[in-house]
Amino acid sequence: MLESYLGRRLRLLKESQNSDGGWGYFPGKRSWLEPTAYALLAQHQDAGTATWDKGWNLVRQWQREDGAWRPTSCVEDAHWTTALAITLHCVRGVYDGHFRNGVDWLLDSAGAEGKLLDRMISYVTKISPTGHDLRYRGWPWRPGTASWIEPTAHSLVALKKAAPQIPGALVKRRIILGEGMILRRRCTDGGWNYGSKEALGVQLPSYPETTALALLGLQGNRDAELGPALARAKRLYDDGQSPLGSALLKVSLRTYGLNLGTESPKDPGRDLLVAGIEAIGCSEGSFSLLRPAA
Amino acid sequence: MTSNSSRREFWGLAATGIAAAGCTFVKKAELPKQGKSVVAVVKAASYSEDLTQKILQGIRECGLDVKGKTVLLKPNLVEFDKDTAINTEVAVVAAAWDAFQSLGATVLIGEGPGHRRDAFGIAEEAGYRGLSKFEASFVDLNRDDVTSVAKFAEHKEIYLPNTALGADLVVSLAKMKTHHWAGATLSMKNFFGLVPGSVYGWPKNFLHHTGIPVSIVELNRIFRKTFAIVDGIVGMEGNGPIQGTPKKAGVLVMGTDNIAVDATCCRIMGIDPLKVEYILGAKSLGIAEESRIEQRGETIASVQTNFELIKEFAHLRI
Repeated sequence: MLESYLGRRLRLLKESQNSDGGWGYFPGKRSWLEPTAYALLAQHQDAGTATWDKGWNLVRQWQREDGAWRPTSCVEDAHWTTALAITLHCVRGVYDGHFRNGVDWLLDSAGAEGKLLDRMISYVTKISPTGHDLRYRGWPWRPGTASWIEPTAHSLVALKKAAPQIPGALVKRRIILGEGMILRRRCTDGGWNYGSKEALGVQLPSYPETTALALLGLQGNRDAELGPALARAKRLYDDGQSPLGSALLKVSLRTYGLNLGTESPKDPGRDLLVAGIEAIGCSEGSFSLLRPAA
Repeated sequence: MTSNSSRREFWGLAATGIAAAGCTFVKKAELPKQGKSVVAVVKAASYSEDLTQKILQGIRECGLDVKGKTVLLKPNLVEFDKDTAINTEVAVVAAAWDAFQSLGATVLIGEGPGHRRDAFGIAEEAGYRGLSKFEASFVDLNRDDVTSVAKFAEHKEIYLPNTALGADLVVSLAKMKTHHWAGATLSMKNFFGLVPGSVYGWPKNFLHHTGIPVSIVELNRIFRKTFAIVDGIVGMEGNGPIQGTPKKAGVLVMGTDNIAVDATCCRIMGIDPLKVEYILGAKSLGIAEESRIEQRGETIASVQTNFELIKEFAHLRI
């Protein structure tokens, strides 16, 4: 019997797991949190098995004392992938001290552009150096830098899943601010790029991968008109120029309930991040794990 | 070394090394350049000419020996727009690959695009995946394994891709473009693509917060075994590096001293290199003064063509 689209990806992931339990971006490379998180989500049905738990335990080891996660064993820095680790905890149903410390770190983390002095200057002059509305702060890739679409979207996915476990209004407030930031940086074509809709007065185009992630972060928002964004996402998906973009768009569009049909049993490439996301986003995949908590 | 700043530079260079355990990549610090730097300017009217021979000519003029070496070609692959000239043209990448391979080098191609996560997707759009050697030799530097290198401006370290740190020679295969934040982007600025997005994000905002000129200088301080090939056959003027207008200059500019190559490119573009902040900041690493650059091939005057500058950089005009 012909091996399915999902089966081929799961087999690649199983064959490419590193001895420390994690996954690299490519086979034979060092384990990183990002491909490891997607590989674990893709194989969520194996949670509790020795091989899955080895990856899970590796992720747990990478948490820093301040609650943030590092992106890989040799990089010490606090990193945006903390959001992925929190999402993974929610999917696993583990809400212990590691989880709480991670959420606290994420709630404390914000783009450097929204500091009080910047907001005051922006309020008085009505001008922001970047043209962004500084009242709406998202999340940076790493501490000390500005907010961008992708880390903000991942943080929103994590906080929307974590919200039922966290008392108080702060989670809700950060979700509102993060969604506001994403909505205010939408490109005129309906989608999103890394986070600047124009430069020197020139409109910039959206990208497939960031459009997919922005929509993923905006799940559950009942106020925003997302029709044009979903239409743009579908067009980008149909163009299919970017393997990573197509994989993320598949996850995102399916979480919004779009019927994309069934995948033909094509082999995955050597990119393990893409293979993991493709497995999550396929018709039989675990994309619903990235929906907000009910 | 007579000034305090020179001493600081020396100790900074001496401290440059690898902090991570198990690392074997140690870059040799270099003292400020003495004497002259050779820069080859070779005319190429179009991408259909025999660019391999032209690049071999530049390599010969600069006396580069790459036999048995691992050479990393680092093109400028940013975004794709069929109506303009953002990226190093695929024909130049192919020609450089053929030239270095014919000289006995093991050749890799590596890039870490600054905005787009999907390096393979942009490579597809830009035609790079049509190269027969691409799939086997391309490394996405954004997602390569990394090693910590001590000291980067005010930071105690920077993480850089092992493929670039381990190469015997990094070839900055840059595009001749104006840049709306830096004035011009040439072989030195092209090293931003060596900084891994997996650690620093997309865009690599860490470099912007550190300061663009100082980050350019720091990357060129760390990567010292380099060769520059600037694709000026068709460059970009105006609102570069992405939204500008194609500009034909009809040249390839090459050399082992990135600062001298960039200074020469600037003069070709009608820009005073000694007004470009990052070139000024890198004077201890290479030569920018025209009198100390030994020009081979074409003269600057014979290929000079003013690139349009946005008003913020109008003061750079010679």
